Amino acid sequence: MEDRPTAVELLQAVSALLNDEVLPVIDASLQHKVRVAANLCRIVERELVLGGPAGERERVALETLTGSVGSLAELNERYSHQIRKADVGALPGALDVLLAGVIDKLAVDKPGYALEALS
Amino acid sequence: MSVIAPWAEQTTAGLARYLTEQWGRPVDVSLDSVASTGARRRNVLFSADDGTAVRRLVATIVPNPALQIQPFMLEPDMIRVAEAGGMPVAHIVGATTDEGYVGGPFFVSERIDGETVPRRVLRLVEANNLGARLAEQCGAAFAALHAIPLSKAPEDLEIAEPAHAGASSEHDPCERALIRLDELMTELLQPSPAFSLAMRWLELNLPDRPPRITIVHSDIRIGNVIVGDDGLRAVLDWEGVRSGDAMEDPAWMAVRMWRFGNDLLEVGGYADAASLAAAYTASGGQWDEQRFRWWQIFGTFRWGVGLAMQAKAHLDGSVPSVVMAASGRRIAEQEYDALTLIRRQMRLAV
Repeated sequence: MEDRPTAVELLQAVSALLNDEVLPVIDASLQHKVRVAANLCRIVERELVLGGPAGERERVALETLTGSVGSLAELNERYSHQIRKADVGALPGALDVLLAGVIDKLAVDKPGYALEALS
Repeated sequence: MSVIAPWAEQTTAGLARYLTEQWGRPVDVSLDSVASTGARRRNVLFSADDGTAVRRLVATIVPNPALQIQPFMLEPDMIRVAEAGGMPVAHIVGATTDEGYVGGPFFVSERIDGETVPRRVLRLVEANNLGARLAEQCGAAFAALHAIPLSKAPEDLEIAEPAHAGASSEHDPCERALIRLDELMTELLQPSPAFSLAMRWLELNLPDRPPRITIVHSDIRIGNVIVGDDGLRAVLDWEGVRSGDAMEDPAWMAVRMWRFGNDLLEVGGYADAASLAAAYTASGGQWDEQRFRWWQIFGTFRWGVGLAMQAKAHLDGSVPSVVMAASGRRIAEQEYDALTLIRRQMRLAV
């Protein structure tokens, strides 16, 4: 077992440094990039917490959709080809399953984006 | 505001020489500020004094003409055509491809006061309750643009063949755009089931051909318009103008990315789509809801593929940048928007 700080705690330290100490003292031309970098730290923090279970949910969903087994990357590729030839009747069911996977990704990449009012 | 960039002196002298030649009398130029300094174009705000009056102007300079996708003169020529057609634009004072004045081709336009920065535009709209008026003005502006006959378009405009019975499929703007997007998708780093579903839906729901091919601005959105307390004052950034399906323009303004967080007002965060459609129709435009929705989904999806290409440019080393890397983690936003828009169309079709 790794010693503390955990990976999440280390990323929190890096994003705090970028936001609280680096941003106030750098040239305006760099500020946007540093804000983006701090936000990427927060994305990775959330991925470390949420990514494992979400990936497993996605893999199981793609196994059902493709009727086959494999790694997440293999299933992703297989299903992308399969859906390109799907009949119109297959799209609504597939859409609901894929949307759930996209909502899981947004919980990592952009919390709050998946608005109930637009779903 | 002081301008200390090394090119400032050359720009001042070059603009003064150009306007002196154009106007046939000595013109004194002073730079006011630099609105943007991208690699592709530089917007310089300046004042020109000819001894009788001071005119507040903007020079749009292209420092690297090689990066231009379309011929430089298309943009100022098109702005003149749009103005003659009744579009609110920044009036063109002059334009030249001669790189001897300011180090690149440029055009000079009248300076129009107002807001362009998206969040400021939306604050101004909210503070002055301008949403309904802006929808009316944008609907009228779109209709004016699309009413311009292609015969009056600048000669450099890329003209797709008019849609007519028996025309080859590549002349249908929807189908042609889809074929180009399909080609782009083969370059993605990893396949996206969500985008593959969107592509399949767009294929299966390809709309009827538009009744006619029109001029399309292709990038009218919050950020490319000047808004004052009286509403729309000018449509900017005409470098991507081409011909196509009129519905592409209003649909692009309704893509969620251009709502800047005001997510429930579908058009630019300031109005609903029905208000824009009503204004467009009242000004003589032929609104087609099916094609509007098709292009809205297409534009959302197309931007997602664009984000994936940015992430790829970072990862393959061609444009190493933390901002380009971050684009990869914004793809899910476009997947979500595309899928929810498609689901709404599916529910309407039942």
